[in-house]
Amino acid sequence: MPSLRSIRSRIKSVKNTRQITKAMEMVASAKMRKAQQRVIDTRPYAEKIYDLMHRIAYLERSFPHPYFEVRPVKTAGIVLVSTDRGLCGAINANLFRSLTRFMKERPGTNFEFVTIGRKGRDFVRRSRLPLQGVIHGVKDRGTIEEILPATQVVIEEFYTKKHWEEVWIFYTQFESIMSQKPKHEKLLPIDPQFLTEKIPAGLSGEYLFEPDRRDILDVLIPRYFETVIFQRVMENFASEYSARMVAMKNATANAKEVIYGLTLTYNKLRQANITKEISEISSGAEAISQG
Amino acid sequence: MAFMLSLMTQERHLLSEEVDYVQAKGVEGEFGVLTGHTPFLSLLDIGELLVRNKESLYSYFVAGGVVEVLPDRVTILADTIERAEEIDGKRAEEARQNAMEALKQPISPESRLGFEQVLKREGVRLRILSRRQSTRHPGSLEE
Repeated sequence: MPSLRSIRSRIKSVKNTRQITKAMEMVASAKMRKAQQRVIDTRPYAEKIYDLMHRIAYLERSFPHPYFEVRPVKTAGIVLVSTDRGLCGAINANLFRSLTRFMKERPGTNFEFVTIGRKGRDFVRRSRLPLQGVIHGVKDRGTIEEILPATQVVIEEFYTKKHWEEVWIFYTQFESIMSQKPKHEKLLPIDPQFLTEKIPAGLSGEYLFEPDRRDILDVLIPRYFETVIFQRVMENFASEYSARMVAMKNATANAKEVIYGLTLTYNKLRQANITKEISEISSGAEAISQG
Repeated sequence: MAFMLSLMTQERHLLSEEVDYVQAKGVEGEFGVLTGHTPFLSLLDIGELLVRNKESLYSYFVAGGVVEVLPDRVTILADTIERAEEIDGKRAEEARQNAMEALKQPISPESRLGFEQVLKREGVRLRILSRRQSTRHPGSLEE
């Protein structure tokens, strides 16, 4: 039988926990609202530039370009977007599970990583996979500059060294507060079969370029994967905060239940003690009066 | 005949709607677009973007980016974009003065280039603003 005092101290500690989880829930929900707005603001540009690049790849398929060229895959690069902190439900675990499945489906391919977020870095290290670049501490109100080191690695490995034949990005897409999905997309090479939108009817010719093709593509291509990576990081933030909010809400509710149960036990025990004491006193008094 | 215009930056989605005419400043000069234009891709310079939709004419300040023209739509992915009415004239004037002051000093060629860019940018901003303040009839645009 636990003592009254030990139950009292447990109630106190659970109450503290509840206060913390409640505070974390509120912080996450405030951040989530901002991050959600950011996702809505950044999605259109990322979608448009994604479609544009794939449309160019399709219309200009007769002109070889290093970023459009599909090569046999020996090594694939993966940009892994995860959270810096934990306590956000299962979003990282789900993402890593989908990544593991992805890698299993491609035996014979080597995988190398650039991670954005501490949890992904830890995962890659734990799995003893090669890590080519690490970014963490990106701010949810941050700018595109913060993820540029990742795009540097992508350019270096894919274009300069021709070491990676493909580049994929893994992140958690924000669908709603209740639902976040692990997703992966192919960033490079820009393969027209991944065009999400239909080519408008009657559009078969090539583009007129101003200035020339090369100059435009030199500007567009880095901007393309910068923007897409950046937008996916923003998606991940919105997912992180939503998941944390829900996780902390559940934790707060659980804490409440535990407190209720403990308080009940505490009161029962207290009552039992009082009853015991009264019966002791009354039997003591009876003994004296009889003596 | 109208076509679809989408206007956005990496951080902001300004407009997606049917319009009749768009005029923008590419790196190789100004151009106007009507429905049915041939596929065309151009880098954007610093300049004014004009959009006509039926009776109304809208003006934007655009600096850098890319425009994709297709027969049925135009997409402008700009680095910087502001509605004419959002331009802060006082701030632009100050920035221009500062740049002019700085250019009088002996400075490195790179920072000279930077300040010249500022001068150009703020000049365009101020020009858009002053034209906006003088009365302009909708639809009086030359085509």
